[in-house]
Amino acid sequence: MKALQRHRFLLLAAFATVLLPMVLRSGSLGTEVLIYGLAALGCNLLLGYTGLLSFGQGIFFGLGSYAVGILTTRAGLPVVPSVLLAIVTGAVAATLVGAFAIRQRGAYFVMLTLAFAQMFYFLAYSLPSLTGGDNGLLNVPTPSLGLLARLGIAPQSPWQFYTITAVVFLAVFWLLERVTTSVFGRTLLAIRDNEARALAIGYDTRHFKLAAFAISGAVTALAGAFHAMMTGIAPLSDIGYHTSEMILVMTVIGGTGNLFASLLGAAFYLLMSDWLSTLWPRWLLLLGLALIAVSLFLHQGLWGLGEKLAGLARGRRNPAGEHRA
Amino acid sequence: MNVYLLQIVNGIGLGMLYFLLAVGLSIVFGLLRFVNFAHGAFYLIGAYLAYQLVHWGVSFWLALAVAPLAIGVIAWLLEKALLRHVYDHPHEFHILITVGLALVIQEVVILIWGPIGDNVDVPSTLQGVVIWGSFIYPKYRLFVIGFTAIFALALWWILEGTRIGSAVRAGSESTETVSLLGINVFRILSLVFALGAATAALAGVLAAPIRGVDPFMGLEALSVAFVIVVVGGMGSFGGALIGGLLIGIIQSVMSTLWPQGAQLMIYVAMAAVLLLRPHGLMGRG
Repeated sequence: MKALQRHRFLLLAAFATVLLPMVLRSGSLGTEVLIYGLAALGCNLLLGYTGLLSFGQGIFFGLGSYAVGILTTRAGLPVVPSVLLAIVTGAVAATLVGAFAIRQRGAYFVMLTLAFAQMFYFLAYSLPSLTGGDNGLLNVPTPSLGLLARLGIAPQSPWQFYTITAVVFLAVFWLLERVTTSVFGRTLLAIRDNEARALAIGYDTRHFKLAAFAISGAVTALAGAFHAMMTGIAPLSDIGYHTSEMILVMTVIGGTGNLFASLLGAAFYLLMSDWLSTLWPRWLLLLGLALIAVSLFLHQGLWGLGEKLAGLARGRRNPAGEHRA
Repeated sequence: MNVYLLQIVNGIGLGMLYFLLAVGLSIVFGLLRFVNFAHGAFYLIGAYLAYQLVHWGVSFWLALAVAPLAIGVIAWLLEKALLRHVYDHPHEFHILITVGLALVIQEVVILIWGPIGDNVDVPSTLQGVVIWGSFIYPKYRLFVIGFTAIFALALWWILEGTRIGSAVRAGSESTETVSLLGINVFRILSLVFALGAATAALAGVLAAPIRGVDPFMGLEALSVAFVIVVVGGMGSFGGALIGGLLIGIIQSVMSTLWPQGAQLMIYVAMAAVLLLRPHGLMGRG
């Protein structure tokens, strides 16, 4: 029972990965939710657990995507080592960007990370021999598993790649759960809440922030690698402004400081976009209005809203209940 | 004539436009640490408003006055109706609301004028070139440099020579102290916000005959403005000027040396400045 209680969010995430195929008709939409969910987890580790608001997550997403693209199509490496190297690339890049960015705080930090995101975008754009420039890298292989084919999931079915993505997603979720509940994670929270105090107690907050950046970069690059494998291309847009924006918006909409909230945010953003885009070609206008509404009325994100509603429901049944929470 | 000299003069013109673009962002930022991702959208609608007015047969000169004023009023209303409500919340909500606002503005532009850009004619009095010995240069670009220089002087006088200006400068040092002295900081902020948006719109109007208009020019402008604020130092008028000129000249010169990498080089320059001066050229630590 205690283990259940401790891993309740992991169980919730596992439940969600099973639920998605039941409610969605498109396997690639489901996979996309998990991939951006991963990216949002990486962003949440920075924003929700360390207090670092990064507008540069697209850098690591794009580098992961390019790394897998280049290693599989140019160097002829198999998928698994390519993905592992993509993760390493993300971690290294995040440490570098982080080293520059964490010298600043607050809004200045945000602008710096955005500027670095643009820098990496134009770097990718300026090196077409490596990245394919505007066209991106084509023919990135999508891995499939013989085991799943024997279970009756056709090799070409998007659900097969979904299954692989789901396993990886849950593994990362579990790892991040361990990271955030560890002494290291608690220290990050202390830095988020009061950095001066954490410094005064004797923590080298710089190293902790850099470590958080490296983990976040690794997770985000993994997401980018999967995005390239899902779509079969490593496009320039994966490293662009909109990827950074999307990852951050998903994280904030979901709610920060809770890992499951990131999956919620990614699912909400992608499913709503998918639905709105069928309504009206100018659906981005509606999305913009939704973002304005969220920022005015939903300061705890969707997760906070859910908690509040659950609290209300509990309170009605058991008026003393609210004192527990 | 020397191609580099030409590109440097081009860069000065571009840099002055960048200065107009960034100065409002920088000063609002200095006052309230408010990150405004909708700043590029004001540049965008400024350009489109001028495009529409010229299209209707209104003179460019009238558009140059009317478009920034109109955008200033719109920004003033938006600040009062929307943005003010998130100041007390964390930065991520500043970003969310202004990203949303920028999206809405961009889509409204596409809804009205379509997704494909268009050219804007150079006003008839400024068509053609100026010839000074071996120096041949388009009249309009020369006008942009002169006009923005005069405008920058006026702006500098407002900041340095008026009571409102001193309240703005004091406010960027300490908002609390200024409000304790009995000055309504919010009113100052609304004004500065509107002025910043109008200045960005002015940059849009001036840029339209040079680069044309398209619905995504706002986004491009936004990231350049951020780089200039980072390079120049936040909240600094001089920083925005020096940063704008530096970035403009680098971009212009690099576009002859390495066209594909011209955009990249402005970010490389930013990284170099940050290595030497973490708070920007004119920033205080």
